[in-house]
Amino acid sequence: MEIKGSVALVTGGGNGIGEAVVKYLVKNGAKVAIVDMNQKNIDRVVADVKAMGGEAIGVMGNVTSEADTAKFIKAAVDAFGALNIVVASAGIIKDSMLLTLDKETGKVSRKMGLDKWQPVLDVNLTGTFLTLRDAAEAMVNGGFKGILVPISSVNKAGQVGQLNYSSTKVADALLPKIMVGEFLMRGIPNIRVVGIAPGYTATPMVAGMNQDALKAICADVHLGRLIEPEEIARAIGHAIENEAINATTLEVTGGLCYKGGIAK
Amino acid sequence: MKSFTYNDMDFTVEKVGNAWDIKNGNALVAAGLFAGVADADAEAKAVALVKTIFPVGVRVIGPDTVHPITVGDIKYFPPAVNHANFVYWNKDSSSQAKKL
Repeated sequence: MEIKGSVALVTGGGNGIGEAVVKYLVKNGAKVAIVDMNQKNIDRVVADVKAMGGEAIGVMGNVTSEADTAKFIKAAVDAFGALNIVVASAGIIKDSMLLTLDKETGKVSRKMGLDKWQPVLDVNLTGTFLTLRDAAEAMVNGGFKGILVPISSVNKAGQVGQLNYSSTKVADALLPKIMVGEFLMRGIPNIRVVGIAPGYTATPMVAGMNQDALKAICADVHLGRLIEPEEIARAIGHAIENEAINATTLEVTGGLCYKGGIAK
Repeated sequence: MKSFTYNDMDFTVEKVGNAWDIKNGNALVAAGLFAGVADADAEAKAVALVKTIFPVGVRVIGPDTVHPITVGDIKYFPPAVNHANFVYWNKDSSSQAKKL
């Protein structure tokens, strides 16, 4: 599928990986709907797209709301007349251990609360489900050729301190297989689903981490550095253009390894 | 250029080259839309698009004010049902009565 002339929608498109994906797609000739929770970020990215000579709309939306997902899918189709590429990159982290023990008594002093668990599931899993479900509906009803891209993470392998986040990302990684299987059963040939599982990526959030912690992370990456958001965007671009890639989740990590050199 | 006020926001629809930009105040809502579409059609499409992106009418379920969850930095407080702008599901606010 060609990027040029396609209509794309990117959730979480106001910063980080989502913003890089928006700009990569615009640079390669796509029209883009930018969805985010932060109006200032939306305004900035739409202005950047205009400066690039591209076409874009900005829609503030909460991916956990059915009303909002319906709204931004409709806005994209109304603005551009089609919907071909949907990248569900909206995501959050709220890291916490399941249990914290009191050092003196050895008893549980704190446990992961629903305030850490539920929002992460809502945004990363339910939000991705709603976005891709409504996008698939628009693609089927409109007869648009398309690709759905859930964003997983290399931490789908299971990262301590991220019981919530890792649980959502392993589920997101599974979506392509189930969805494409169902599309085959239902006779829907025009929609592919390809997940992307980034490794540690140089988003403002990660790049701003403690530098010693960053060094320790990079020491486990064969490439020896963080992945750039643009490299994730290029991987998505390749998945869009190469139609043989389907019903799978691609890892883009630079070779992230466990201690001792076994690749994650 | 077409200007209109909708949902207490001031929008402009401006032709730039052969396409159209939509602004909400100074912020760009959309850039480069409806290239080649006749002016009147493009303006009508832009108004419709604004109404899709900024829908009027927010349905609030709850909030469950005794639940400990906060969403981001937002802490829910009970609605001020006596406020003039409070809208019940079945009647208008007293400050913004429906005009027919």
